Amino acid sequence: MDRQGRTWMRKAAWALCAAFVLAAVAAGADALAKDKPAELVLAVGGENVEGYDPLVGWGQYGHPLFQSTLLKRDANLNIVNDLAESAVLSPDGLVWTVTIRKDAKFSDGAPLSAEDVAFTFKKAAEAAGKTDVTALKEAVVTGPYSVELRLKEPQITFIGHLVTLGIVPKHAYGEGYGRNPIGSGPYKLASWTEGQQMVIEANPLYYGKKPDFTRVVFLFTGEDTSFAAAQAGKVHVVSVPSSLAKQQVPGMVLHPVKSVDNRGLMFPMVPDTGEKTPTGFPIGNNVTSDPAIRKAVNYAMDRKALVEGVLEGFGSPAYGVVDNLPWEETTARFTDNDPAKAKEILAAAGWKPGSDGILEKNGVKAEFTIVYNAKDSLRQNLALAVSGMLRKVGISAVPKGTSWDEIKKNLTHSNVVVYGFGDHNPLEMYKLYHSRGDLNIYNAGLYKNPVVDANLDKAMAAPSFEASIPFWKAAQWDGTTGFAVPGDAAWAWLVNLDHTYFIDENLDVGVSQMEPHGHGWPITANIAEWTWKK
Amino acid sequence: MIRYLVRRIVHLAALLAAVSALSFSLVSLSPIDPVDAYIGADVMKVGPEQRAKIAARWGLDKPPLERFTTWAANLVRGDFGISAIYNEPVLTVIGKRFAMSLWLMALAWVFSGLFGFVLGVVAGAFEGGLFDRAVRFYAYLLAGTPTFWLGLLLLLIFSVALRLTPVCCAFPPGVTPEEATVWQRLWHLALPAATLSIVGVSAVILHTRQKMIQALRSDYALFARAQGEDTMGVVRHHALRNVVLPAVTLQFATLGELFGGSILAEQVFSYPGLGQATVEAGLRGDVPLLLGIVLVSAVFVFTGNTVADLLYRVIDPRIGWKGAA
Repeated sequence: MDRQGRTWMRKAAWALCAAFVLAAVAAGADALAKDKPAELVLAVGGENVEGYDPLVGWGQYGHPLFQSTLLKRDANLNIVNDLAESAVLSPDGLVWTVTIRKDAKFSDGAPLSAEDVAFTFKKAAEAAGKTDVTALKEAVVTGPYSVELRLKEPQITFIGHLVTLGIVPKHAYGEGYGRNPIGSGPYKLASWTEGQQMVIEANPLYYGKKPDFTRVVFLFTGEDTSFAAAQAGKVHVVSVPSSLAKQQVPGMVLHPVKSVDNRGLMFPMVPDTGEKTPTGFPIGNNVTSDPAIRKAVNYAMDRKALVEGVLEGFGSPAYGVVDNLPWEETTARFTDNDPAKAKEILAAAGWKPGSDGILEKNGVKAEFTIVYNAKDSLRQNLALAVSGMLRKVGISAVPKGTSWDEIKKNLTHSNVVVYGFGDHNPLEMYKLYHSRGDLNIYNAGLYKNPVVDANLDKAMAAPSFEASIPFWKAAQWDGTTGFAVPGDAAWAWLVNLDHTYFIDENLDVGVSQMEPHGHGWPITANIAEWTWKK
Repeated sequence: MIRYLVRRIVHLAALLAAVSALSFSLVSLSPIDPVDAYIGADVMKVGPEQRAKIAARWGLDKPPLERFTTWAANLVRGDFGISAIYNEPVLTVIGKRFAMSLWLMALAWVFSGLFGFVLGVVAGAFEGGLFDRAVRFYAYLLAGTPTFWLGLLLLLIFSVALRLTPVCCAFPPGVTPEEATVWQRLWHLALPAATLSIVGVSAVILHTRQKMIQALRSDYALFARAQGEDTMGVVRHHALRNVVLPAVTLQFATLGELFGGSILAEQVFSYPGLGQATVEAGLRGDVPLLLGIVLVSAVFVFTGNTVADLLYRVIDPRIGWKGAA
């Protein structure tokens, strides 16, 4: 069944049920337990079906929980020490010297030493999983608690691995580790029923602050079932799509979390010269290769209306790919919902209204297709809304839904595409806007600006993460050029989503981190700090 | 009898070979890139070098024919391979989940068979009556109801509003599988099994009813009535045996549908059975797992049909072993 049909039927089913629920609540169905529960029940997804092995990708979002990481991000996304007492990058950007704390133990009682850290990074570099540590040349133990991570070339975003890669025990790592993880994190795995639930218990040997909840159950239920479980008072935290966030859940409060989970329009940057991909699909677009068109699209759009209309208010306008992150260049922000300015830009570039109201220039109509993944109703609604807004300035944007595989393989180099990104690591920005790389999803529009490339490369080669930030900013807009809207306007970012959760009214989840692309598990990033209010 | 069994086994071997070759070609033609599906949202963090490594781990760097022959050669030795998405042996993945699904399917199968048959017989015996019309309406309505929607509806009414039944899972959340009792497990099966049964009965009802009407209009029924039997008597002594045959065939033949239906019911109730694994394997292009599931389900359905075949001879002694296929 297609997503649209499902959505409709889902709404019908929930509506049918609303009366029952209200009746039951009004009749004062069993009062929800207000005492601190023996176990916390969360329905936020997060089942990693291949197991909880950091070396093949576990823990990239949120916290690996069972393992601990060298560094971590606090609620304000500052990078602070965790397992590491210090982590220093050499001035040439090639060697991380890490000293770890001496009191860390694995949940099986064995002490955690530099050997384990080196083992973890070496193995991760070999492993064929989602953790890409190919930049590592070697990991060398220099003392019982110190280790050097040597890189093949300077790569400041490697710090992301120090933040997310959970350290595994050298003595207990092997086949089946993912189903029986041993680590030095705040929790240990008690039981995992695949496809249903995971029970975790506090790790008594954890070196940090002991979590307030000693037993936590993760339910791996689907969206609808999770919401039903919340309605029935069976869970304490549930992640819900924004379409359900306006509902009332007895005993629970809505907890929206800001995110950098964004959606935007990717523009093909080069003109169509007849060049084809190896599989015979066109490259380039003669309309979007004109900067006037890309800027006009950016200025004409009313992003607040998109947030209200498409996200039901659960989101914020997106002006760039890294909104509100420490490396955002805020001077590149602009005032949108300005059709007059859009028209001015278009007129100055020589676009004139044709007989049907659509602009034309040298016989080319201001017309392009916005393709989106047809399974994703959010992207569909964005494409439709944008199309309506652009019509008013004389640009014809035709929304077209198709399969994700079709988009990625065939359409992405010659059409405007609705994409979603957003990460805590500027590596993503590098890949989206750097011109190196072949035909791929990273820089699908074939954007190329030597100044931007230079700034991105300087950021990569910076001697510390702090030192890299000015270059990340300059790549967006350095006062004269950049990929952001005042410069080349290589993308038209539309919205940042809010991730919506219902949480028990007695549960205090502290300050949630601004979340990356990915809804659900990231809320557990600070689970060790959660408390019960009574 | 022995010749019959030998012939069945040869049939099975041929079936499995054909099914695996066909499934493999279909998966190979699918536009899904397993590496893309695996990486998912991490696409920006995984570079080309790492992608090549992942592809090599799964053998995707080799041509399809070579992959298939390697797979088949290992299969003959009893090695089903490693599931790409679960990162453990295919048989382990299937074993864990099939045991769960078997409970669900068995309950649903027995209930839908019994209720369908009884309702069909009664409706057919009183053709055109109020009960018949009600049952027929129900059967037509249910034949067009999506399983997941009915499941969601039952969930909302019985679990959310009335709080009678569990919302999800094979046993209470937070309880470990070792602690879960048989009663808890059965209780958690109630709604998914009911969903499957409610949807599954319509075919049995309609077929049984039709056959019943035919039987009651037959010459031997007329003759029995002439001898003074009333409707109930004709049904009990003459029609029932004839009606059982198609019902049994149908019930065993629907094992395949049951398999499909259980996938949907398992999704709604987050029941940790084979259904979820099948969907994942298909959507993410996990070829070894998908082929493993295809083989297991083929054996399952084949066994069902064979049992039906054998039962014929028990129910109707006129069908002998001679010429049996």
